[in-house]
Amino acid sequence: MGLFDKLAGWLGLKKKEVNVLCLGLDNSGKTTIINKLKPSNAQTQDIVPTIGFSIEKFKTSSLSFTVFDMSGQGRYRNLWEHYYKEGQAIIFVIDSSDKLRMVVAREELDTLLNHPDIKHRRIPVLFFANKMDLRDAVSSVKVCQLLSLESIKDKPWHICASNALKGEGLQEGVDWLQGQIQATKT
Amino acid sequence: MAATSSSSSAGESTQANSKWLDAHYDPVANLYAFSSCVTLADLHGDGEYKLVVGDLGTSWHDMKLKVYRGTDLLSENALPDMPASVAAFLMEQHEPRTPAVAVASGPFVYVYKNLRPYFKFTLPPMEINPLEKDVWEQAKEDKIDPLSLKEMLEMIREKAEIPLSVRSLRFLALEPPEMGAFVNQYKMQPIKRQTVITCMATLKKNMADEDAISCLVIGMESNEILVLDPEAFTILARMTVPSVPTFLDVMGQFDVEYRMTVACRNGCVYIFRRDSKRPKYSIELSSQPVGLVRVQKNIVAACSDQTLQGYTQKGKKLWTVSLPATPMTMSLMEQKSRGFQAVLVALANMEVHMYQDKSLVTVIRTQDVVTSICYGCYGREDNTLVMTTKGGGLIIKILKRTAVFDRGDASTGVPTAQSIKLNVPKKTKLYVDQTLRERECSVAMYQVFQMELNRIRLQATRTYAQALESSLTPITETLQEPLKMNAVVQGIGPTFKLTLHLQTTSATRPAINLLISFLYDEGLYYMARPFFKAPMLVPGLNYPLETFVECLSDKGISDVIKVFVLREGESAPLLMAHINMPVSEGLAAA
Repeated sequence: MGLFDKLAGWLGLKKKEVNVLCLGLDNSGKTTIINKLKPSNAQTQDIVPTIGFSIEKFKTSSLSFTVFDMSGQGRYRNLWEHYYKEGQAIIFVIDSSDKLRMVVAREELDTLLNHPDIKHRRIPVLFFANKMDLRDAVSSVKVCQLLSLESIKDKPWHICASNALKGEGLQEGVDWLQGQIQATKT
Repeated sequence: MAATSSSSSAGESTQANSKWLDAHYDPVANLYAFSSCVTLADLHGDGEYKLVVGDLGTSWHDMKLKVYRGTDLLSENALPDMPASVAAFLMEQHEPRTPAVAVASGPFVYVYKNLRPYFKFTLPPMEINPLEKDVWEQAKEDKIDPLSLKEMLEMIREKAEIPLSVRSLRFLALEPPEMGAFVNQYKMQPIKRQTVITCMATLKKNMADEDAISCLVIGMESNEILVLDPEAFTILARMTVPSVPTFLDVMGQFDVEYRMTVACRNGCVYIFRRDSKRPKYSIELSSQPVGLVRVQKNIVAACSDQTLQGYTQKGKKLWTVSLPATPMTMSLMEQKSRGFQAVLVALANMEVHMYQDKSLVTVIRTQDVVTSICYGCYGREDNTLVMTTKGGGLIIKILKRTAVFDRGDASTGVPTAQSIKLNVPKKTKLYVDQTLRERECSVAMYQVFQMELNRIRLQATRTYAQALESSLTPITETLQEPLKMNAVVQGIGPTFKLTLHLQTTSATRPAINLLISFLYDEGLYYMARPFFKAPMLVPGLNYPLETFVECLSDKGISDVIKVFVLREGESAPLLMAHINMPVSEGLAAA
C-alpha cells in the first residue's frame, strides 16, 4: 500500500473492500439482485442462468463490495464451499413463491451453516425473501419459519422481503449488511 | 400451505439420516390414480415441469385431467370417461417445443395442447358379424319382433367366431318389456364394434433427442398394438399380441429400430422388434404382472405373487427377489447426474422399496399405501419422487443433492465373498485325460471301486473279529469290566521305566480283583515283578502302575513285551497290550 492509498484511507476517500457470497437455489433471483445493486449505467437488461459463478462489484456509502454470484443449479452447488473461506458476509436468496423447494433451500442452508469454514465464524448472513410480487409468494415471516432461521444463534442474520425486478427491499438489506460489517471491523 | 409446514415438522426426526427431503404431503389432495395415469412434463416450455394426472375420481362422473404446478393445482379438465393412460409427447417440430398431453380413455385418445382439447383420435372400428348386421337390418324394417330378434342374436352369440357388438349384448341383457323401446331407439343407427385402450406409451419417431417428436403406442383390448403417427394420427404399424396387453415399454426409434416389451393379462411378457408382426421372445412370469420397467437393457417385472423378477431383453431369467408384501405399482428411478438407475416398488405395507438389480438399496416409509409412482424432474428439481396414495393423497419427495446410493446399503443380496474369484489352476492334460477316461469307462471304474470297497470292509471286519477273539484291544469289550489302558516306556536303557495307566470307564462300579501279567523273552529282558495284583480301580481316576524293565542284551536288539490284565480265577485276559520296547542305548556306554 502506497502512501497515497493510506492517505486516501484516512481521509475516507478509499473504501474498505468486502467479499460477499451470494447463494441460493437456481431461479431464486441472485443475479437479478446483484444486477440491481450495481450503478444504473452498469446494469444489464437480460439475466440468464449463471454458469459456475461470476464476480460483480458495487459500492455503497462506505464499503466496496465484491460479490461472488454463485450459480444455484444443482450441479454447480458443490462449488459454493470452495469460496466460503474468502467470504466475509453471505447473501442467501430464497424464491418465496417456490413452496415445493423450501425444503431444498433449507437443506442447502443447513449444509452451509454446518460447513467447517463457516460454522465457527461469526459472519453476517442476509436473507432475501425474493419474488414478493408474485401472487403465490409466502411472507418473509413464513419463509423464516420454513427455513427455521430462529435456530441460528451464533451469527447475526436479517431477512428482507424483496422484489428484485423493481429493486424493492434491496437497499434495506444492504444497509443492514454494511452496518454489520463495519461493526465487526471496528 | 398448511400441509407443507406440517410435513416439514413431522419429517424432522427422520430427515437427518434420510436421503429424501419431504417437500410436500397433502393427504386430501383428492388424487386417485395409477402409475400409467401420472406423468411429468414441461407443458409450457419454461423449464418448470408440471405434474399431469388423469384422476379416476371416486365415482363414475368426476374423472378429471389435473395439472399441478409446485404444490398447487394449476388446471382441471373434465374427462368424459375413465382414463387408462396419460402420456406427454411432442407432436411437431415447431417452436416453442411444448409437449401435448394424450389421454387414453375408452376407444379414444384425447390430445390436449396448452391444456386445451386439440384432437380426438378414435380407434378404427372392428369387423361386425354379417349375421348380426342382417338381423338388425330386419329389425330396422320391422320384419321381426324384439323377441325373435333376441332369439336370433342368442344363436349368433353361441356359434359365431366374431363376437357381438356392445349394442346386441346390451339388448340381450334387457328384460322383455324394455326391449321394444330399446330396438326403436337404436335400430336406425348403424352397428359399430369397438375395442378399448388398455395401455399407452410413447416412442421416438426418428431421433433419440430428449425433445424429438414421438409416436403414440397403444395397446388394446382386442389383443393388438398400434403405433400412431404424431402429426397425422394415422396408423403406422399394427401388431398382434397373444393376450390383452396391460403394460407397455418401448425403447428405440420408430424409423430406425425399436423394441417393445408388452406385459399381458395372461401373465406373459412378449418382446417385439421392428418389423415383427408376432412376438420375437416371450417370458412366462410366475404370476400376473403388477408393473413392468426396463432398466437399461433388462426387464424388471413385479408380480402379484410378491416377487420381483429380472430378465434380459431376450427373455432369459436373471434373478428373483421375494418382496415382503404385495406390490402395488412400480416405476423407474433414474438419477441422470450420477448415471444411476433403480426400480421403485410400492408395497401394500405402506413402504416403497428401491432395488438396484436384485439388491435392496433403500426403503421409504409412506403415510398411506402408494398407488402410483412417478420419478423425474418436477418444478425445477431434477430428482423428485411424486406418489399418490390409495386415500387420494399426494406425496412429493426430493432426493438430497448429496445423497449417494450404493449397493453397500443393501441388507439382502449377494454377499461380497461370492463375487471374489478363486485362483483355480488351469486344467492340465492329466486332468483332461482322466476326465475322458472317467467318461468312457465309467461302469468298469465303478465296479472296480465297489469291489475294492467291499474287500477293504471285509478286511476290516476280519481284523476286528480277530482282535476281539484274542482280546488284543487296549479297551475291554466286556460290559462287566470296562477298562482302559495305555502304556508308556521311559528311559534310554538299559533300565526302562514302564508305566501302565489303568482306568475303569464304568461310571459307578469300581474294578476289583485284577491281576497284571507281563510276557517277555527272558533272555532279553529282566523284570523284578512280572506278575502283580492291581489295586482297586475307582471310577474316574487314572492309576499309573510303574515297573522297571532291564535289558540284558548288548547287541542293540529290541523285542515286544505283552501286558495282560486278568481277572482272578479266569484264564482269558480282559485286556492285552503289546509294548514295542526301544533299543537300549545306555548299555554300550555302561
